[in-house]
Amino acid sequence: MSLRVDLLEGGRIAVRTLGVNRLRTVLTLTAIGIGVATLLAILGIIQGLNGAFARQLASLGTASLNIARRPYVVTGDWWKYRNRKQLTLAQMHGLMQQSRLATAVTPEVNEDSRELTSGDQSVSAVDLVGTMADFQKIWGYEVPKGRFLTDADSESERQVMVIGSDVADQLFGPRNPVGETVRLDNRPYRVVGVLAKKGQILGQSMDLVALIPFNTFLQIYGKRDFQIDVATDDADQLDQLEDEVTGIMRRVRSVPPGEPDDFSVNRTQQIAETYKQLTSALYGVALGVGLITLLVGGIGIMNIMLVSVRERTREIGIRRALGARRRTIVVQFLLEASLVSAVGGAIGTAIGLGTAKVVSLVTSLAAAVQPLTVLGGILFAAAVGLIFGIWPAARAAQLDPVEALRYE
Amino acid sequence: MLIRLEDIRRYYTVGTEVVHALNGVSFEITKGEWVAIIGQSGSGKSTLMNVLGCLDTPTSGRYWLNGKDVSGMVDNELADIRNREIGFIFQTFQLLPRETALGNVELPLIYRGLRARDRRERARAALDQVGLANRVTHRPNELSGGQRQRVAIARALVTEPSLLLADEPTGNLDSATGQEIIGLFEQLHRAGHTICLVTHEPTLAARCPRAIRLSDGVIVNDGPGRDVALENRAERARAAAT
Repeated sequence: MSLRVDLLEGGRIAVRTLGVNRLRTVLTLTAIGIGVATLLAILGIIQGLNGAFARQLASLGTASLNIARRPYVVTGDWWKYRNRKQLTLAQMHGLMQQSRLATAVTPEVNEDSRELTSGDQSVSAVDLVGTMADFQKIWGYEVPKGRFLTDADSESERQVMVIGSDVADQLFGPRNPVGETVRLDNRPYRVVGVLAKKGQILGQSMDLVALIPFNTFLQIYGKRDFQIDVATDDADQLDQLEDEVTGIMRRVRSVPPGEPDDFSVNRTQQIAETYKQLTSALYGVALGVGLITLLVGGIGIMNIMLVSVRERTREIGIRRALGARRRTIVVQFLLEASLVSAVGGAIGTAIGLGTAKVVSLVTSLAAAVQPLTVLGGILFAAAVGLIFGIWPAARAAQLDPVEALRYE
Repeated sequence: MLIRLEDIRRYYTVGTEVVHALNGVSFEITKGEWVAIIGQSGSGKSTLMNVLGCLDTPTSGRYWLNGKDVSGMVDNELADIRNREIGFIFQTFQLLPRETALGNVELPLIYRGLRARDRRERARAALDQVGLANRVTHRPNELSGGQRQRVAIARALVTEPSLLLADEPTGNLDSATGQEIIGLFEQLHRAGHTICLVTHEPTLAARCPRAIRLSDGVIVNDGPGRDVALENRAERARAAAT
């Protein structure tokens, strides 16, 4: 008898058996469904996260470098970086004069979690940045209302401020903030511009920011360590820019030849790499959890198939007596196991996708699932059923027809 | 010659003891014969029936069925032989409870690889032959014992096998229904079918043209059904009474 007939007949029996043992079918479906749902929900959330992150990283400005005492991602000897000399404005001016590739250079200094007030409205957890005009170009900010900071603002230590869209919304609502006064650490600032919305990265708003002139910042918060942002027009020239900047910085900081750099040149790419490391760990955990759940489901299937084989011992005997080969019996039970699992996988996929969708609606995490993942979920579940069905199916096929016919 | 057995032996190991279920059995059955195999329980007749039906392989000896030496065949070949050459009729009917009468009769044709339409046609014809043309869509639990056995006989006939192998076919039926089934066997015999009937009832075996009596795994008598089945006066008297 051909395998085609085995498959057709096995499939027919499998479909019928699912309908007969409804409760058992539902229990098995649940076991596999939960596994697939867990897997897909987590994968969906991670995929969504990845997409959002990639889009936003691109909007940060890809053709820029950051020079600081320490790298973006510090691993190991953190104290080494602390002992490095601070950057100075003189070094920055040296860089501006000597670099041929740099088209924008600006200092940047930060304060976390400031509170801004205006009238009786306030907004907290604002990132405060002290910087100059080129900052706009490097980070790709658009200013739909008012203007950005100018170098003159910094030179004159003006108390002016450009605010992010979230700050504007929370302090002024629908009103135009330009020209209004904002208080920060008991000092008044005049709002000169509002930044266009940037959205979120990893659930963190990029619009809860306030920018003030660099020198104003230093004057108020004291001299402190700052970073230098450098940009070029062409993202493909980033490597050359890095070489050039490194050379200039070594010269202006008088690093002797042979000594390692006493500064770090950072790229947004490094953030992306850290992010990848982070999510690959997450992927691993998600995969582990989902696989364990599927393992549990698979063992459930095996258990139920063993019961099914025992219950249908006599049927197996009858089929064998009437001319079914061992393979026919194996195919019949394998199809049954994988069909239950595949249906469970389909239900699990639906639940998993639903969960990911709900998560993306309720929380700030974006969730997206690629169509291939859906197909993968169902096929994977079927494969689990197939694998865990092998042993019961083999047992069914190994039954002695004489014994099986006599089974009560 | 349809069946030829040559010194068939079947030994089982039960624990440390070797049971000689068949201890050198040789006989022949010609096409169209109706043979009863009788004996006490434990005489080896069930083992012989399993060997004849290719459900069991003998420990030694040779068995030719329809010209083929089946004693050396592997599992797959035996499955195909069962499908093509043998029609089983069991004491407990052995029908699939979830299938209709038609579905049960179709089953061996599925394993032969026939198309659905041909299967259905032949299964209907077989059910018609045993007088169940109007019970086609009934499931076994909607049929009487006699009707169930008729479905089983239709299932055995549908593949047009060379041998009908019946194991106590009237054992689970009341005597009137049993008589009907035996009547059906007589019809099939007249139509030219080769029938091998395993039974422990002397009155049943007495109606067969030939009977083989087994005892302790060997043939002790082989001859006309009446002579072999009714060995003593008491049995003969009981047969006369029925």
